Amino acid sequence: MLLAKRIGARLLWAIPTLVFISFITFGIAELAPGDAATTLAGEHGDAATVKRIREDLGLNRPFLVRYWEFATNALRGDFGKSWYPLGDQDTYVRDILRTRAWRSLQMAALAIVLAAFFGVLLGMVAGIWHNRFPDRLAVAFSTLGICVPNFVLAPLFILIFALKLEVLPMTWPSVTAAEMSFVELIPYMLMPVVILATRPAAVITRLARAAMIDTLSQDFIRTALAKGVPFTRMVFHHALRNTLVPVATAIGTSFGYLLTGSFIVETAFRVPGLGQKTIDAIYKGDYPIIQAVVLLFAVTFILVNLVVDVVLPMLDPRIRESA
Amino acid sequence: MKNIAVIVSVVFLIALVVIAVAAPMRYDVTATVGPKLQPPSAEHWFGTDNLGRDTFTRVAYGARISIVLAMAVEATAIVVALIIGTLAGYGRRWLDATLMRFTDGMFAFPDILLAILIMGVFRGGDFGLQGKVPKILIDVFPVFAALAVVGWPALARIVRNQVLSLKEQDFVTASRALGAGHLHVILRHILPHLWGLISAIAMVGMAMVILAEGALSFLGIGVPPPWPSWGLMIQEGREWMRSAPHMIIWPSIVLSLTILALNFVGDALRDRFDPKLRATRRL
Repeated sequence: MLLAKRIGARLLWAIPTLVFISFITFGIAELAPGDAATTLAGEHGDAATVKRIREDLGLNRPFLVRYWEFATNALRGDFGKSWYPLGDQDTYVRDILRTRAWRSLQMAALAIVLAAFFGVLLGMVAGIWHNRFPDRLAVAFSTLGICVPNFVLAPLFILIFALKLEVLPMTWPSVTAAEMSFVELIPYMLMPVVILATRPAAVITRLARAAMIDTLSQDFIRTALAKGVPFTRMVFHHALRNTLVPVATAIGTSFGYLLTGSFIVETAFRVPGLGQKTIDAIYKGDYPIIQAVVLLFAVTFILVNLVVDVVLPMLDPRIRESA
Repeated sequence: MKNIAVIVSVVFLIALVVIAVAAPMRYDVTATVGPKLQPPSAEHWFGTDNLGRDTFTRVAYGARISIVLAMAVEATAIVVALIIGTLAGYGRRWLDATLMRFTDGMFAFPDILLAILIMGVFRGGDFGLQGKVPKILIDVFPVFAALAVVGWPALARIVRNQVLSLKEQDFVTASRALGAGHLHVILRHILPHLWGLISAIAMVGMAMVILAEGALSFLGIGVPPPWPSWGLMIQEGREWMRSAPHMIIWPSIVLSLTILALNFVGDALRDRFDPKLRATRRL
């Protein structure tokens, strides 16, 4: 019951947040030099043509009216047409983004799973061998993972694995990727996913390590060991559970990093995902696409954090009580 | 062990500042000064790039861009955060609620996305400053604006929470009882308690600014060419990776070391001033 109330409150709070975000997203495009009419009229369009297009599109209406239209359409998943369509079938923003969003989501999900697995594993190892070699290794990894950004790792990985060792393909097969199966694409996804996972893995390692060290020094662990619970069972049964809370939190906060990461990684490896399209849209000034992507990411961001907030009390009774 | 890392970090950062100041001493930053794509040599310490520009000079000038930008962004963010955080923490409840809801709203915006959005609209503009200030300032200004807008909410939240607990302290009550005004209390009793925390946060914050600027420049929507931002240099070097890997390796190394050093120093300051705050708002 408490939980339901909590979710309800969070969902309600998401509404003004989304209004705020959509308002800024829509408003900032308004500040840009030129609008859809000047763009569609082309470089040689005269003032009359621009005026006509502006009236056709309803751009001469007041700002708030257009914002309302934008927001209500967005709620239905309609973001209008791209200003720079590539072909006849690729006009609607929704259609352009659908397949790309799937590609980006797939890689982000794989990266998070990878990061959670290695982060917990390293954190656990570091906690058990606290202040010894495995611990130092884990600390070094998490420090480097946090300090070396994606845009340094991506060229470095390409240099090592694609150019020097020649074991992995350098960039995405842009033309044939659509017909390739998931399994066939694995070699292409390997570097991008590992790079995406580095930073979340480093953060999770750090948090899991701290939780592990903290837990292992608690009285109930000593009691369990004294009562003859085998060490491995104690680690997996008692200590591991306590690392889940910080890890779940980290997965939520890592999502923001994954966004940045997806822009970098998709640019570096030429992956036809959302990030690449957004950068392309920014170069061209294709605002409907930029707006749609920003809203899409913001909604996902809010949802992920909501899920984390809901899952946390399930993992930890202490949080449940305090709610 | 930890102290050594901090000392090495401080020495590295000081050296970086010195090199950044002296950047264009040997060669011009944007001019062709030698043969193209030369590997490192006595003449060109980090080699030359695809246009025959000296990579060492460019990395050093990139340090200048990164450092100045990081300091400017962080200073702006701190001032805004101090004003909003103090007003929210010290002021009346409705003021607190309003300001914090606004901050939360900014927080919900994935920050790089907001920066990208701002860059998408403002990059390439001249803001009516053409010819009045050096070109580099006009080119870097949108990056500064984008990162400053993104940088303050997290800080404001921390300041607000600190002020909230500070204003309940006995020395504040005592000062008030002695007839001190609110402004006096804020300036004399509350702000001085925040400096230690802020200095620690500023170090990590500067690292975040340098990373964000690098990411934007790498994506081609940050500092524009011909200026040598580290992120842009890495981006430009990608095409010549096979024949001239030094073009990406040097800026990568210097950037990573800078972030590492700022983090070490920030962590040390944090441990010094506020052990409770460990592990929160890490980079």
